[in-house]
Amino acid sequence: MSPWLLGPVQAALALLLAPGLVGAIRWMKARLQNRSGAPPWQPYLELRKLFAKEVVVSNNASWLFRAAPFIVFGSTVAVTLLVPLLAVPLPFDGAGDLLVVVYLLLLGTFFLALAGLDPGSPFGGMGASREMTVAALAEPTMALAIFALAWSAGSTNLGHIAARVLATPTEALAPGHVLAFAAIFVVTLAETGRLPVDNPATHLELTMIHEAMVLEYSGRYLALIEWAAALKLLVFFTLLGNLFAPWGIAAALTPGALLWAVLTLALKLLALGGVVALVETHIAKLRLFRVPELLSASFILALLAVTASFLLR
Amino acid sequence: MSPELVSQLSVGGSTLVLLAGLAMLWRRGVRAHIGAFTAQSVALAATTAMVGWFTGDWQLWAVAALLLLIKGVGIPILLERMARRFGTERELEPYVNTATSLLVGGLLVLLAYLVTARLVSVSQLPTRTGMPLAMGLVFVSLFVIISRKKALTQVLGFLMLENAVALLAVLGTHGIPIIVEIGVFLDVALGFIVMQVFVYQIHETFESIDVEQLNRLRE
Repeated sequence: MSPWLLGPVQAALALLLAPGLVGAIRWMKARLQNRSGAPPWQPYLELRKLFAKEVVVSNNASWLFRAAPFIVFGSTVAVTLLVPLLAVPLPFDGAGDLLVVVYLLLLGTFFLALAGLDPGSPFGGMGASREMTVAALAEPTMALAIFALAWSAGSTNLGHIAARVLATPTEALAPGHVLAFAAIFVVTLAETGRLPVDNPATHLELTMIHEAMVLEYSGRYLALIEWAAALKLLVFFTLLGNLFAPWGIAAALTPGALLWAVLTLALKLLALGGVVALVETHIAKLRLFRVPELLSASFILALLAVTASFLLR
Repeated sequence: MSPELVSQLSVGGSTLVLLAGLAMLWRRGVRAHIGAFTAQSVALAATTAMVGWFTGDWQLWAVAALLLLIKGVGIPILLERMARRFGTERELEPYVNTATSLLVGGLLVLLAYLVTARLVSVSQLPTRTGMPLAMGLVFVSLFVIISRKKALTQVLGFLMLENAVALLAVLGTHGIPIIVEIGVFLDVALGFIVMQVFVYQIHETFESIDVEQLNRLRE
């Protein structure tokens, strides 16, 4: 297989798997709470339904409101080309490193917040302001945790970091890596709107963040946004799974290795999804004013990760 | 064990010890604080045992066992008893709020790097890599003592300070003679008992262990 084909293939795979991941988490959560729950493929049906529905747009909304879903979706799909989903080294490694990935994701968040403000509904503005608060607090943690990884690998390139851990397996248990994993896990929960920062299952509470921003959207716009949100979750899980424990990832582009990579990727995603489902069953949502405390704790983890990598250089 | 592994393990162990110290700044409940102290003592004992294994020194093993017994089991039981007596008074309004304290904690760790940079550069021991973190814990526990209002939390801060000094000694010098170590343990036990009596007295007089109350004169 040509290495250049790998990019589109893994983007397509990510698009295909993302709704299933969200469905699987919901299903596992339901089973943990003794509910029967919707089947894991429910999000696919929801997406099909939303794509078929008509779009209702507020009279006050500008072009921004119509453009935002495409920007959010586009930037998230672009990220899937840069993340080591199946194989290292990536053909698009030269196009962007970990910093580009993080800021592409943030670009989507930024436009979503703008779109939340655009129609002038009170909920949208509230959600946008909260989302920006959380993003601004999660940002330094993410940057520091990346710095810790980059320091020990000697490169901010995602493929290099994964390859480095593959080459020296003890690296995976180095204190810097373990702490960076914990920090990025907390950031994942915050950025993808999971408990304890945001409750993904509610459309009613005054405390909602992500859902408040997208409240005005309907039809195919909503479908794109939901799909992008699922994709973002998948990207963060892939970063956690393939940067910190890259075993199973294909080093050569043979059909057998790629198939094995797909299998291990699915297992890693399910395992991380199980952890998230367990966490969400176990804990309650934090009050909004205590979210900064959680995020500064994760910032401290990231800071210690950098210092540990620095000490062991 | 290879020296690289030892230096990695000592950074890992000291990071755990430091994290438990920072957890004091993050959490509010008394139980969580006691749990953090217990975890810290266990991590400290494990790090000491690791260094003992590396150097083959039986004295360090003895110190690790003593640490586990006194600070990992004994003192937490006494602390639990104190906590039960005073009810679960939470650290609701510390002098510095939680988010800021955590950031201050991070800055103190960075300060510890600057302070210990020279110390680390002259040392040849593979365990030297953990020393900045131990020094960081010294600062963090001092910060716990001055930024929290409850007497019990301050006692815990003092105990953590003691842990930090013990960690610094183990990492920087591979342990001090056991007879000195035993003397230190006695000191800590005695200091803890004195502080316990103090806390009981404060509670008796003010019906609270909030040291803010000590500002006011009472008949």
